Amino acid sequence: MLVPVGVLRLPRGPEGSSRGFNPNSPRFQALLGELMTVQGVRANLRQRYLQVLGAARGHPTRFYLRAGVQVDAVFSAADVDAVAFQVDGLRTPLGVQAAALLRYTDVLAYTFPLE
Amino acid sequence: MAMRQTPLTCSGHTRPVVDLAFSGVTPYGYFLISACKDGKPMLRQGDTGDWIGTFLGHKGAVWGATLNTDATKAATAAADFTAKVWDAVSGDELITLAHKHIVKSVDFTQDSNYLLTGGQDKLLRIYDLSKPEAEPDVVSGHTSGIKKALWSSDDKQILSADDKTVRLWDRSTMTEVKALNVAMSVSSMEYVPEGQILVITYGKTIAFHSAETLEQIKSFEAPATINSASLHPAKECLVAGGEDFKLYKYDYNTGEELESYKGHFGPIHCVRFSPDGELYASGSEDGTLRLWQTTVGKTYGLWKCVVPEEENAEAAKARTTLPGTAEEEIEDLASENSDSVYSSTPEVKA
Repeated sequence: MLVPVGVLRLPRGPEGSSRGFNPNSPRFQALLGELMTVQGVRANLRQRYLQVLGAARGHPTRFYLRAGVQVDAVFSAADVDAVAFQVDGLRTPLGVQAAALLRYTDVLAYTFPLE
Repeated sequence: MAMRQTPLTCSGHTRPVVDLAFSGVTPYGYFLISACKDGKPMLRQGDTGDWIGTFLGHKGAVWGATLNTDATKAATAAADFTAKVWDAVSGDELITLAHKHIVKSVDFTQDSNYLLTGGQDKLLRIYDLSKPEAEPDVVSGHTSGIKKALWSSDDKQILSADDKTVRLWDRSTMTEVKALNVAMSVSSMEYVPEGQILVITYGKTIAFHSAETLEQIKSFEAPATINSASLHPAKECLVAGGEDFKLYKYDYNTGEELESYKGHFGPIHCVRFSPDGELYASGSEDGTLRLWQTTVGKTYGLWKCVVPEEENAEAAKARTTLPGTAEEEIEDLASENSDSVYSSTPEVKA
């Protein structure tokens, strides 16, 4: 008579409607765990922001300021204390400023093309 | 004591399972990905079949799926004209690669930096995954839809199969090196790096060719149309499955049929050995994956070898039940697991 091989249990199947990939599994914690902490997320965001600043450099940028004011300039740099942007060729109604500082607190948004 | 194979059934898919692939061995074990016509490929722990997660995003049947060696990335090929790359730890979709027709096959290079795709538009595409927006390198030459495309020779060459041919390409020149005409439609292809062996199935034939010259080494005939075959890492045996719902195990050296198993309720579409060769997985039209032991009766994964005499003695001490109960409990587990009563005992040839 053939004795069937015993099994400890059946393979676990999908859990309801969850897509799985349990963030508490040892593999997830080891490989991605750091990314999921608040510190990890903030580090990621900081890195991305620095990449944005680097990418904007030298590109013609449109700044949207308060009271509906828009100005165009060439993005140059941002300072470490987040006080001001330094721009070149700022076009104002009074003419073009070769170099200028725009206060962070005055800028609502700015856009630049990626190419 | 003759043991009977107890396959482990992995449920979860709702439509036929058409492709499956194992990762390499990682510090967390090895993993298995299954491609399904329900459009939801699943990742499982390789040695137990436990479900880990489902990759959600495709809008059509998934025809091909693969994992990179350390199972950190997954790639899938689908009928929605896209191939997708996924983070296999978090399940997140990383990259979508638009194609002009159904994509059938995906394969990572060993460093996971490039992805090879092939499909119904008859073109092979090589994507640089560090620049996914860039146009891929395109290799043309196939005259019918590509069913499988694999890197070979340390990622320096590409093997691809369509309906009637298997072709070998040089990656650096993007040109065809050799072509092999196959008598019938190629149903599957597997590349074994150690020994440079190519396993091809067509009709009832399981053929082994040199991956470098495409010359045939040997071939075996099965009793029924075979859809997929896999060679054991140690090249002692091979397994194959197809249209008669059965799995066959052959001795690679002699071609002798060693074992055969019923269990699936539909044709078997894919079969693969695990990277350590201890088990093989089969995917079927019936929507299930089954894990089978290479050495029946060995303690491995969820399989536990229990010798009834020893169990009886321990059972007598631990419980006040009769010695015969232990064997029945194992029987119950087996039948519960098999989903069905075996219509006939599997043939096991000593």
